[in-house]
Amino acid sequence: MAVENKKSRLRRFLFACAAVIAFVYGFLPWLTQSLSPLRQMQQHLQETGIDPSRYYYTDVEQVSEAEAYLRERL
Amino acid sequence: MAEESSVVIDRGGSSWSDLWSKEDYLAIWLGFFLIFTCVIGYFYFGPKEKFTQTINTANKIQAEEEARAPFKTMAWYGAQDEKSRLRGSSGSEIGKFLGTWTKKPGSWNSNPVDSFVRSSAQANALNEQNMPKYMEAKAAEETALKGAEAAEAAAAAAMFQNQQLNDAAQAQIKSWRDAKKKAGDAKRKTENKPFNYIPTLIGLCAFFALIFGIGIKLMGQNAMRFAVGFSFVFFVSVIAYIFGGQTVAKQYGIGAEAWGIIIGMLIANTIRTPKWVLPACQVEFFIKTGLVLLGAEVLFSKIVAIGIPGIFVAWVVTPIVLITTFIFGQKVLKIPSKTLNIVISADMSVCGTSAAIATAAACRAKKEELTLSIGMSLVFTAIMMIVLPMVIKAIGLPEVLGGAWIGGTVDSTGAVAAAGAFLGEKALYVAATIKMIQNVMIGVTAFGVAMYWVLKVDREEGKKVSAMEIWHRFPKFVLGFLAVSILFSYLDAEMDPNMGAALLDQGVVRGGTRLFRDWFFALSFAAIGLSTNFRELAHYFKGGKPVILYVCGQSFNLVLTLVMAYIMFYLVFPDITARI
Repeated sequence: MAVENKKSRLRRFLFACAAVIAFVYGFLPWLTQSLSPLRQMQQHLQETGIDPSRYYYTDVEQVSEAEAYLRERL
Repeated sequence: MAEESSVVIDRGGSSWSDLWSKEDYLAIWLGFFLIFTCVIGYFYFGPKEKFTQTINTANKIQAEEEARAPFKTMAWYGAQDEKSRLRGSSGSEIGKFLGTWTKKPGSWNSNPVDSFVRSSAQANALNEQNMPKYMEAKAAEETALKGAEAAEAAAAAAMFQNQQLNDAAQAQIKSWRDAKKKAGDAKRKTENKPFNYIPTLIGLCAFFALIFGIGIKLMGQNAMRFAVGFSFVFFVSVIAYIFGGQTVAKQYGIGAEAWGIIIGMLIANTIRTPKWVLPACQVEFFIKTGLVLLGAEVLFSKIVAIGIPGIFVAWVVTPIVLITTFIFGQKVLKIPSKTLNIVISADMSVCGTSAAIATAAACRAKKEELTLSIGMSLVFTAIMMIVLPMVIKAIGLPEVLGGAWIGGTVDSTGAVAAAGAFLGEKALYVAATIKMIQNVMIGVTAFGVAMYWVLKVDREEGKKVSAMEIWHRFPKFVLGFLAVSILFSYLDAEMDPNMGAALLDQGVVRGGTRLFRDWFFALSFAAIGLSTNFRELAHYFKGGKPVILYVCGQSFNLVLTLVMAYIMFYLVFPDITARI
């Protein structure tokens, strides 16, 4: 019974991992390639090197550039 | 994870032993230890003298150029570039040491191994692949340089008295600067080096197990059991960094923090988190230590970066939206959990993940509430990052207004920069700066929420709260967070701006405290995932009220930010807008 339970849990784990990986590395790239605005955004991110997953200002190099630009202009 | 460790429990009293036995204080001491080490390392063993010499020489050149010409000449910019190149993190032994030993898996496209191992052949292939673009950018820079030199020489020949020649020189210099920036960006892509992060990751894991293990021991728990379990939590964090480094995942804002929760929850809810791992799921300890370190990045001088318009857009609109959304959640939606309500409100109105973490810790929200809030923020940020620039372009808003709108409403800074840059350079600069000003609000938000919870929410009906009781209940790590923020704001204000940028910002913070903070938050998210039950999470989602709260609050935020940005940048301070 315990072995059966373990097997079932492992199956669920592998299935869940496969689903998540398929979503992120299958569905999302397909979505990006299918819609023009998403494709444009992807190209734009590759060119600029901006990482949208970074959440604080010190993690994003472009914030320093912005600060320097505004300090000079204002 | 035991239920008790998912929130901070009030004991209703304080004693001296709290200083070395309670999590809040231990987080402060650990944070202080790392900050102190970085400050000493950069300020006393760093290249301060060399930096001072370079800054003095550059300042002298700039002063001479300012006296010579009515505009910023090429020599002036050359001196500015010399100062900008000064970075404690890359120009000192301590910076190189910390940078090497805190490395995390980076970007990859098709092979996950690329994120932590790169051979010389791979590095060379990457450099060669990017070389043509660099050569092209370099040629453009050289052409622009010649044009700028000729135009400036012509203006100088007329003793800078001919306005037409001066304007032409300024325009040529600007073109040269733009070309130089593009060439610099392209050059960086040709400087890939081989690496293997496996040994440093093992070393870092051992170091973290040691420093947190000491804290665990002082809290009266078994340090050895913690260390054993910690290796697994660290491993999940590394996997989360690897997954978060994939280019498509990053594009949608799914970074290491989200992956930590996803991978952890997959394990916890299928094969189940091994029992020996649970003692290491010290979510609050990791978060609080990370928050104390985050204090070094909360600099109050940043508030004035774009003048009064920025203060109004970021520091007037944000608290209004935060408080209104919270009241709406309580009175209209009747969200049962006040902590969930405030975490979502802060996450949506202030700055996403970082605000959610700080608020959740300040009001002792449950880990499921933080998970839910961050999950919603990720989804809406991904949508807004793409939709908002399209809307702005479609209705023809000017770049500065569009940038201010994006900066005040999109949650995470990376997404703000991406959306702003999609509109244009000015929009990027305004958006990123507004978001930076909003980021600084985390300190005030955490303190305000902690005080409100102590004085109002946790108070017994009809009872007055004495000063001692406030002290007993107040989450002490918030004081450590604020103390670090005040200290670094003071240092930032007192130091020469160039030295502050080189040693404090690009040294102590970006080359020290931030590296540890990033890891601690990644560890906390992995620990959250490993100890979260899907069913408990679903319970908080009941009726879809959190989504309604987020959507209503964000809609209000969108309207108010746009109106305020228009009034401030176009009606009250059009001169500032014109200069941008």
